[in-house]
Amino acid sequence: MAQWQEVQNLANTHLEQVHQLYAAAALPMAVRQCLAAWIEDQDWQQATEPLSSHARMLFHSLLALLDERLGSLGLGDEDFMLKHNLRKARRDLQAAFEECPESFANLVANLLQEERRILRLGQASGQGEAAPAPSTPLKSDREQEIQRRLAEFHTALQEFERVFRHLEDLQDAFDFCYKVHYLPGQDQTNEAEYKRQVQSLQAKLLNLDRQRREVVAQMQQLLGRSETLRDFLQQELKAWQERQQRSCLGAPVDTRLQQLEGWFTGLGEGLFQLLQLLRALGELQKKVTYERDPLQAETPLLETRLREQLTCLLQSAFVVEQQPSMPNTPKRPLVLRTASKFCTRARLLVRLHDRNHRMEATIHIDRDPPKTRGFRKFNILTSSSKTLLAGENSREGLICDFQYLTLKEQKISGSGKGNKGCNEGPLAVTEELHRITFTLAYAYCGLEMQLETSTLPFVIISNSNNQLSSAWASILWFNMLSPNPKDQQFFATPPPAPWPLLAEVLSWQFESVAERGLSREHLQMLAEKLLGSKPSPESVLTWSKFSKDGAAGFSFWAWLDGILGLLQEHLKKLWKDGLILGFVSRKQEKKLLKGKRTGTFLIRFSESVLGGVTFTWVEHPESGRPAFRAVVPYTSVELASLALPDIIRDYQLLAEENIPENPLLFLYPDTPRDKAFGPHYSQRQEGSLTEKKEYLKQRLIRVSSRQANEAWQTEEELVVATENLETLQLQPSRPGFVQPTSPGTVPVVAGSPGVQQPLGPGTLQPVSPGVPQVVAASPGTQHPRGPGTLQPGAWAPEAPPQVGPGGLEMLQAGTGVQEPQLVLQLIPKGQGTVQMGAGSLGTLQVLPGGTGMLQQGGAGDQRMQQVAAGAVEPQMLLQLIPEGQGMLQVGAGNLGTLQVVPGVLGTLQSAPGATGVLQQVGAGDQGLPQPGPGAAEPLPVADDQGLLPAGLEDLGPVLQGPGMQELLQCLEQDLDPGTGTLETLEAVELMPNMDSGLGQMDARLGGNAALLDPSDPFLPQPEDTALPAASSLFAVDTDFPPLHIDASDFQ
Amino acid sequence: MGQRSGRQERSKKPEMSLRENVTAEEEDNKEEKKELKTKDQRLPLVFGVADLKNGAVGLYNMGQTCCLNSLLQVFLMNIHFTRILRRITVPPNASLKRRNVPYQMLLLLENMQSGKQKAVFPTDLARCLSVYRMDLFMQHDAAQLFLTLWNLVKRQIKDQDLVTKLSDLYTICVQEHLACQICSSETKRNSNMLTLPLPVLDSNSHKLKTLEDCLQCFFHPEELTGHNMCFCEYCEKKTPFLQSMKLVHLPQTLTIHLKRFCFERSADVHKLSHCLPFPQELDFNAVLTEQQSQAHDSEKAAWQYELFAVVAHSGSAHSGHYCAYIRSLTECKWYCFNDSTVCQVSWDDVKCTYGHSDLYWGQTAYLLIYMKKHPQ
Repeated sequence: MAQWQEVQNLANTHLEQVHQLYAAAALPMAVRQCLAAWIEDQDWQQATEPLSSHARMLFHSLLALLDERLGSLGLGDEDFMLKHNLRKARRDLQAAFEECPESFANLVANLLQEERRILRLGQASGQGEAAPAPSTPLKSDREQEIQRRLAEFHTALQEFERVFRHLEDLQDAFDFCYKVHYLPGQDQTNEAEYKRQVQSLQAKLLNLDRQRREVVAQMQQLLGRSETLRDFLQQELKAWQERQQRSCLGAPVDTRLQQLEGWFTGLGEGLFQLLQLLRALGELQKKVTYERDPLQAETPLLETRLREQLTCLLQSAFVVEQQPSMPNTPKRPLVLRTASKFCTRARLLVRLHDRNHRMEATIHIDRDPPKTRGFRKFNILTSSSKTLLAGENSREGLICDFQYLTLKEQKISGSGKGNKGCNEGPLAVTEELHRITFTLAYAYCGLEMQLETSTLPFVIISNSNNQLSSAWASILWFNMLSPNPKDQQFFATPPPAPWPLLAEVLSWQFESVAERGLSREHLQMLAEKLLGSKPSPESVLTWSKFSKDGAAGFSFWAWLDGILGLLQEHLKKLWKDGLILGFVSRKQEKKLLKGKRTGTFLIRFSESVLGGVTFTWVEHPESGRPAFRAVVPYTSVELASLALPDIIRDYQLLAEENIPENPLLFLYPDTPRDKAFGPHYSQRQEGSLTEKKEYLKQRLIRVSSRQANEAWQTEEELVVATENLETLQLQPSRPGFVQPTSPGTVPVVAGSPGVQQPLGPGTLQPVSPGVPQVVAASPGTQHPRGPGTLQPGAWAPEAPPQVGPGGLEMLQAGTGVQEPQLVLQLIPKGQGTVQMGAGSLGTLQVLPGGTGMLQQGGAGDQRMQQVAAGAVEPQMLLQLIPEGQGMLQVGAGNLGTLQVVPGVLGTLQSAPGATGVLQQVGAGDQGLPQPGPGAAEPLPVADDQGLLPAGLEDLGPVLQGPGMQELLQCLEQDLDPGTGTLETLEAVELMPNMDSGLGQMDARLGGNAALLDPSDPFLPQPEDTALPAASSLFAVDTDFPPLHIDASDFQ
Repeated sequence: MGQRSGRQERSKKPEMSLRENVTAEEEDNKEEKKELKTKDQRLPLVFGVADLKNGAVGLYNMGQTCCLNSLLQVFLMNIHFTRILRRITVPPNASLKRRNVPYQMLLLLENMQSGKQKAVFPTDLARCLSVYRMDLFMQHDAAQLFLTLWNLVKRQIKDQDLVTKLSDLYTICVQEHLACQICSSETKRNSNMLTLPLPVLDSNSHKLKTLEDCLQCFFHPEELTGHNMCFCEYCEKKTPFLQSMKLVHLPQTLTIHLKRFCFERSADVHKLSHCLPFPQELDFNAVLTEQQSQAHDSEKAAWQYELFAVVAHSGSAHSGHYCAYIRSLTECKWYCFNDSTVCQVSWDDVKCTYGHSDLYWGQTAYLLIYMKKHPQ
């Protein structure tokens, strides 16, 4: 029944063969179907023997069963046809075979055998079809050849089985005759008759002998062919192993095993079948043997040869399907960390096993450790043995999957004090190679053996990521170069790598991280960097030059791995789309850009900074040579807060021009910036001024500034030049929108004294959220400066903009050394509108802090000028986006002025010409401190507010006067849509995610608390915080008409 | 005369194919001069129809005759050999016929080619050979048996012209040089060989990697020192000698014997089954150096060979099985002859006889028979 069932499940092409088979057969398919189980249970082969009574018996049983079946059929319509067919079949069969039931038996036997053949073919090809699609259409010649040979082998095996059955019959016949007729001892009454009998017996024996020789010869032939097939499979397996090794290194290759598994199982099945036949031959030989019996001489030889073949096949069929790897670093297998989970899996490709026999697989680490001094020893902590499981689904195959392994280093006990010394082997930890060996006790069909396979060597590290990187370098080097995949001593004398090979492997690293390999140009640059010359196919690179030495303080690999890390974290898509030129030498870069339009830029990886990316653009001055400019490389620290495409989009260079511009216009060679990067810009939402929102979203942009008197530089000077460029960070939530500003919340960070002072102390918020941002952007830059600008002198009540001598010194010390980066974030609430002065997009006010600008400071303080002259040249961009009903008005052309005037009706008015002055006009109608002076104060922190993090509270005593919160509340109320006052203004709103902003703030500020400690001499002391005279800084100019502003202006 | 009688003898047999065969052969004699046209057209003319019909036919194992069967197939599939065989003089009477090896071989050939069976019994030939003390029920060494068989055939062919042809077909000529290292006196000796017995290990018992290496090693001069020293007539004492061998002539059918059976500690014979690849095409000029050959350029130009047959052995040194892989010269297809079973195979199957260090019982090439690409 099973067989017929399977036949019916065959694919159409094979089913067609079955139909053809029965179309020509005397046995109708209806009968086959109707008596399927019974037919399959009978031994038709045996019945085919001449003069066997068995055949007659079977034939009549079949007729009887048919009758029975006919009787049981109902009167239904479907049954009617079936009944008719069966009745007809019964009649035909009886007519045809009544006289010769043997031929009927023969017919059925042949039909069954043919069915089995079709079934096997169908299943063999079915396996191919079931495997995922790509493998089927693109079959290589070799695959077809194997498939063909496998099919041939099975056909030959079937033929052999037939010959063997024939031999059995012959032997039975001979045996019977021999026992009946050969009576040598007895008196022969009828001598002539006896002689005839013996002669016939002799002929039978000769025939038997011949058949035996035939069987042996066929067996030899089969074995010979299977050797070729096995050889083929082993070659394929070897190719797979090489593929696996390369895939471990990140090569995009197919490492599926299904096909191989099918082949190995197919051959294994055949060979085991052969083994059983061979044993049956041995049985035959035991029953009848004679002088020079070929079976006697040949079967032991054949069996030895066959067993050897099977052993060889099974040994190679036990493979490590998954090399050890930690789940959290799947792209870097073969690097394991102590006490971290890892998994590995072995598979037996010959999917044959005895269900009654448990096969246990065990693993050992470093079973034969190299005799190196200090070679670390490890224990596998979790269970090291597992039963080989045949998955529920037979397709899964025989696997032993070790999923939760961990390693622990063995402490050498008893060696006492000398222990440490002897632990230090000649090899670094990351060059020490370990292996896990799988062993499996295999038993099937009476064949028992120990199968063994080993993982590729791996590196065991203990903790840091640093080790991970260099361990991975070792794995790359080993798998790229080791001729012997088991060589644990490889790094005792690591061979150099031929450049072409290394180039390919490096390219895979990029491909696996960001789906795009290295181009020829990239590799050329890398080769020149590594080899100092153009690479030739013979160029080689030593291990130490690759992973150890490096002029820049880091090795080539560390540098490259830094870039890989950066790509992985931030630049995947850009790299994938080919927007990053990446590896370009300075010289090459100049060559590329020279002939391009002004504003053509390219993105490349920094060669001097680990994991840095930068862009360089070209400018063609009206006369002279083209100039090349580059920014200080961005590392993952910067890119974490702002993605590179957004940096590029919003990048601005602030120069002597009034309007900051984005110098990046065309991506090399000539793609317009937005076309190239458009798909990568982070989502922008059009701001809706009418929609009431809790908070506006914010966004960071990066700009650079350039000194007014700075000459165009050639690329040789670039590095230095870019270091002097100042960057100002703003965080507007929407692209075209200006961030709202209000004096209370303008967190002008004390990055640049020149900026700070014109803004007045009122805007100076050392504790404002702006600080952490600045810190994030350029840590180390800000801190020394921030406090420095808060020198007591700067806060003298009489002349607020004055900078005390001490402060001046501080500033001077700081100038030119660092790159002050400022973050201004201004977030008002409510429905205010913003009005802008002379239309710089998205820019409300620009405070280019040139010397002259500062001189225009409201108070006209000379010391201020001095400070400003100190070459710091702060350049600021303040973007203000008010919400709510407050109006933000800025007079045209008040450069260097930030005026935020939340008026009674929420109007912000700018005082024309009040350069460098921050004005706030607030209608403090609720008994709040006057907005004017309040705003001019350094925003104090209310020490009673639970809202503020501890770090801020520390500052409480520092800043006296009206509490910040109070001020905020005041402003908030001022801008409230209902009351016409400012709505909530929260200085802490800096993080893009407002809700979590506080928490994060907390953490960050906590870290800064020490710097902002009250005892810090650079922090404003209580007495310094006395407010400057409001009149000197703020001009209340309520007469100024509110300017109207249109949303489209911000685009 | 011999040929005529041969034909009469054969013409007694009723098969038509034989007649065709005979007529074809007459043409063959006439046409013999017009060789070297296109191979496909030429072959039927030269070798007769019968040989071309010659599908591969098996030979039943008559005892332990797999070795004999393999060699017979190698002989009988070689149309250069059968061309000679077909012209032999038929022995005058029945008893002589029974004892005549070449005649029995010819009969067997006819039997194989005329019959429709997939295999035939080489009974008569086997009986004939047993006269010459070749036990059928004993394992033979194929190289040894090859020499014995060839010599029997040669001895029993009466026609001197054919004997010369047979010798030419198989004989390798080398010149042995023995030079005293003291007085530089040199003795030369020409000798003929039927096979090139190539070592598979070098002088330091390291496994040689390829057939070319084996040839190199074979023709590499050897210093005879220590107790290998020879007596020098001129120095009148035992002196160290340099023994070298130079190749003079290579025959149409070149038999190479890979010495895989190693007599290490006298009695203990074991088989070396390591991998030793051999090429399908072999150019001796590329393998040997100038010093290792002693031949005219025209002779050397003909030293281009392609593989014709491989006699492979599986099993141990004491017991095993022989089979033959033969590339049919008419069809240019490879066949594998395992006694009575014959099947068409590919070069990949032949490559399987390179050997394998891990497989002791597998098939390994033992005799390699190369055929000149451009017959002279």
